[in-house]
Amino acid sequence: MILTHLDPLASSIFSSMAIASLLLAFVMLGSRWLKNYLYAFAAESWVIAALSATVGFFGHYPELYLVAFLTALFRGLFLPFLLWRIIQRLHVAHEIHEILQPSSTLVGGALCVVFSLAVGYRLGQSLGLSTTVAVLALTVMLSMKLIGFLMLAVRHEALSQILGLLLLENGIFLGAQILVPGMPLLIEIVVLFDLLIVVACFGVLVQYLLAHAGTTSSLQLKRLVG
Amino acid sequence: MSVRDIVLQICQVLAVLGLAPLLQGFILQFEERVQLAQGPGIFQPYRDLWKLFRKQIVVPETASWIYWLAPFVAFAAMLTVPILIPVLTDFPLPLSDMGDILGGGLILTLGSFMIVLAGLDSGSAYGGIGSSRAVMVTILAEPTLILVFVGITLLAKSMLPFVVNHLLVASQAVYWSPAHLFLIAAFFTLLITETDRLPIHSSTHIEVYMIDEARILEYSGPLLALLKWASMMKQFILYTIFSNVLLLPWGLSREGTAIGVVGSAAALLGKFLLVAAAVVVVDTAQSRLRFYRYQEVLAASFVFAILAIVGTQLS
Repeated sequence: MILTHLDPLASSIFSSMAIASLLLAFVMLGSRWLKNYLYAFAAESWVIAALSATVGFFGHYPELYLVAFLTALFRGLFLPFLLWRIIQRLHVAHEIHEILQPSSTLVGGALCVVFSLAVGYRLGQSLGLSTTVAVLALTVMLSMKLIGFLMLAVRHEALSQILGLLLLENGIFLGAQILVPGMPLLIEIVVLFDLLIVVACFGVLVQYLLAHAGTTSSLQLKRLVG
Repeated sequence: MSVRDIVLQICQVLAVLGLAPLLQGFILQFEERVQLAQGPGIFQPYRDLWKLFRKQIVVPETASWIYWLAPFVAFAAMLTVPILIPVLTDFPLPLSDMGDILGGGLILTLGSFMIVLAGLDSGSAYGGIGSSRAVMVTILAEPTLILVFVGITLLAKSMLPFVVNHLLVASQAVYWSPAHLFLIAAFFTLLITETDRLPIHSSTHIEVYMIDEARILEYSGPLLALLKWASMMKQFILYTIFSNVLLLPWGLSREGTAIGVVGSAAALLGKFLLVAAAVVVVDTAQSRLRFYRYQEVLAASFVFAILAIVGTQLS
């Protein structure tokens, strides 16, 4: 297990990258423009790709280099490109009616982080992972999941919701990279293709919504139409 | 205290004095080139200073003694700070124990304070606007500065820039720790703010946007040259602190030999090219924002500083 004997340099780099991706999650949470949202997601994916490469380097898992490459390619380039094309077609630049102001959402995100820190600390103790990096990885993983849920809850534009879902998945992936780096390669590839299918289905759904409902905002989709 | 160390200390001050216009010229030229213009050449600030020093002084009738005092205090303050920080050597030279990071910050702020007073002194509308805006920005930048100092102190358990430099060179783990990276981010924002290159500023003389330039509109001739030189030196000093203490602590003279000092001066210019390139990207790629959005940038740097302090408590 890599976490039990980690040299200080690796622990510094891991915690820097984990905190950087948490910060990018906050950028996503606080941004009004869908494009900034997308750029933050792409940047976060690159950070996570770099993280898996570093875990592979320090923990001597050569297959993680492949995972890092695939992460950068799919999550960092291909998924953002597909979503960017959907944004171009949608003519929606930002959330028009906000359920919750971005600044209040940021406070909500901060509360999520505090909650996850408490949970991560407990969880780390009960699993015997009391090192700083383990607690930090648990905290970042849980808080990115909660922030993803928060986004799904307070954003109503379809594209924000899919980005919330992807962020949630990024959080799980990040935690898995640090906590159980020896995860089989096949699972990671399956997850990546799952994401691809999610985004492809989403593209079809957006086309359908535009054609039949004329909007992609979930606020407008309350009424049954026959 | 040997003669060599005293000579080195004088060299540090002279390096700041002589190379500051070059840095300014490089940044201005690079900005022009990024915008596909020809640019005045990197030696233009030297020519400007030379021209201003040979011009006549015109003093407003309303000016008091503060008007005369401010340029000299600002210039002297900028000559004092290089004594306290590692410009060329990574070991303390004579008199560099006069003050720690807080002391250096105090002297830097004293220079700006005198210029703010001078802007108010002559009673012109533009000077007043410039001073009030500069103070508004400073009020929000100051807490970040203090928190960055606190973060550095917690990281290195010392307030001396030399100790921070040695720690970062010695330990890769500290260099890549989140605390240090967030300090870099926070200080970079401060650097852009203090050198008047936030994307809310305008460097031209006609727009109502100007901040730092508006404070010195009433000056002319050698006094203006002193003020401009002081502001270039302030920029150089902040770049030095940023690159020699925080970002790139390598490449400083260890022994204090002549060849080592020349090498570290060359390395310093190389580091500045990197930092200046980043600053130019921020300054040109970002479109100008409304003036009242300056607080968002400073709030972000404040958050970075807080995170850095949290990060020092992690390990």
